[in-house]
Amino acid sequence: MRALFLLFFRNGGFVTFVLVEALCFWLIVEFNERQNTIWAHSMSLLSGDISTRRQNVADYFSLNLQRDSLAAENARLQEQLANERYLRLQRAYSDTLRNGALRDSNTIRPDSMRLKQARPQFQFIPARIIGNAIGGANNFITLNRGSRDGLMPDMAVISRNGIVGIVRHVTTKYAYAMSVLHRQIKISAKLKNYNAFGSLVWEGKNPGIMTLRYIPKHFIIHPGDTILTSGYSQMFPTDIMIGTVAENPKPDSENPYFLTILIQLRQDMTTAEEVYVVKNLHAVELDSLRNMSNSDR
Amino acid sequence: MNSNIFPHLWRFIVLVLFQVLVLKQLALSVGSYFNVLIYPLFIFFLPLRIATAYTVLLGFAIGITVDTFYGSLGVHASAGAFSGLIRGFILEAFGPKGGFKGKEPIFSPAYFGWQSFFQAIGVFMVLYLFFYFSVDAFTFVYLTTITLKTITSWVLSMTFVLLYMAFFKTRA
Repeated sequence: MRALFLLFFRNGGFVTFVLVEALCFWLIVEFNERQNTIWAHSMSLLSGDISTRRQNVADYFSLNLQRDSLAAENARLQEQLANERYLRLQRAYSDTLRNGALRDSNTIRPDSMRLKQARPQFQFIPARIIGNAIGGANNFITLNRGSRDGLMPDMAVISRNGIVGIVRHVTTKYAYAMSVLHRQIKISAKLKNYNAFGSLVWEGKNPGIMTLRYIPKHFIIHPGDTILTSGYSQMFPTDIMIGTVAENPKPDSENPYFLTILIQLRQDMTTAEEVYVVKNLHAVELDSLRNMSNSDR
Repeated sequence: MNSNIFPHLWRFIVLVLFQVLVLKQLALSVGSYFNVLIYPLFIFFLPLRIATAYTVLLGFAIGITVDTFYGSLGVHASAGAFSGLIRGFILEAFGPKGGFKGKEPIFSPAYFGWQSFFQAIGVFMVLYLFFYFSVDAFTFVYLTTITLKTITSWVLSMTFVLLYMAFFKTRA
């Protein structure tokens, strides 16, 4: 103890100084208004900085949560957009009836044809791609949503940029979907300019290019023309982006009355991540209609 | 040490009184740049053979006394403690080569000559004043002002140090 005491007084000048300065610092800040203001200001800057950093960290960790909620929000908006297109069609039809355009036909009474309150046709379910392949001839993607989220086979998978695939199999938590890069995929697509529709297939090899077939050759098509979904397939809603015409079309090798058009996909399948699964709420009704017509063939 | 405590006590009282009764009033009437600080002489003239811990505490003591009159609690005390810390190094630097022999009680021109004395007190005052004005400003944003104040105050304070030396025979 005595040694410690001596050590302190031999080398204690600096220690004493630090202690005394600490006391002085407290006195200055406590009893001097000007210095107190400066100190308070500095502290507020510092604590502001600290809280900003802390906020940044917190923001980072809440990004996942935010992404999910944004995905849900986007799904809702996309869904609204798709339904709006469908409902606009219904309204236009209903207006036509009301204006009496069909009245002369005498076979249908407009009153009886008044449309019931139109039901929305589509529901969008946000999902994320957790498995993807592009190398093979028949590629599949895995989604982190399953039957408990409302997914069923034959639902369309789209992204912000365009079409992605079609659900084939579902488990409780996951779904296995045919990518658009699959030899068996066939999507009804149309030229935005003419509303002419054809069949979109993938012929393998280039993961950025699909082929649009069965467009009659009298249509004048330029590279860069937009290709959208036709909505005829009952899986994809109308007017979903597919891509653009990649190069000048060639005549179809099998049928010279049609064109073969190479389409540059808007959604790069190698980078697709956030997607929406489209549930067609009228699917059952449309299927039963199709089954009825099967007997006519 | 008991025998020579009185010159220090006496210097303490004289310097504090002169500081707060004369120099403070001068600064108030002339302007903020006319800031003469002479009380650090007390710390400078403390006995040579005294531990730095004591000079720091005594520096704090005279500083806080001046502070009570200036209404700036802690500012002079802080600078006083600082001067107590640096005093030893400065005296060592400007003292005789080979160290102090133990005969001289204080670092006064009577023992070490005027040249050594002025070099030591000059550096001592520069460091002290710079520290004081820094603590006073409490931010280095005003570094230019701090430096200007240090220079003007140093010139004025050194003049008063000269006057002090002319009036008082400082031997103990």
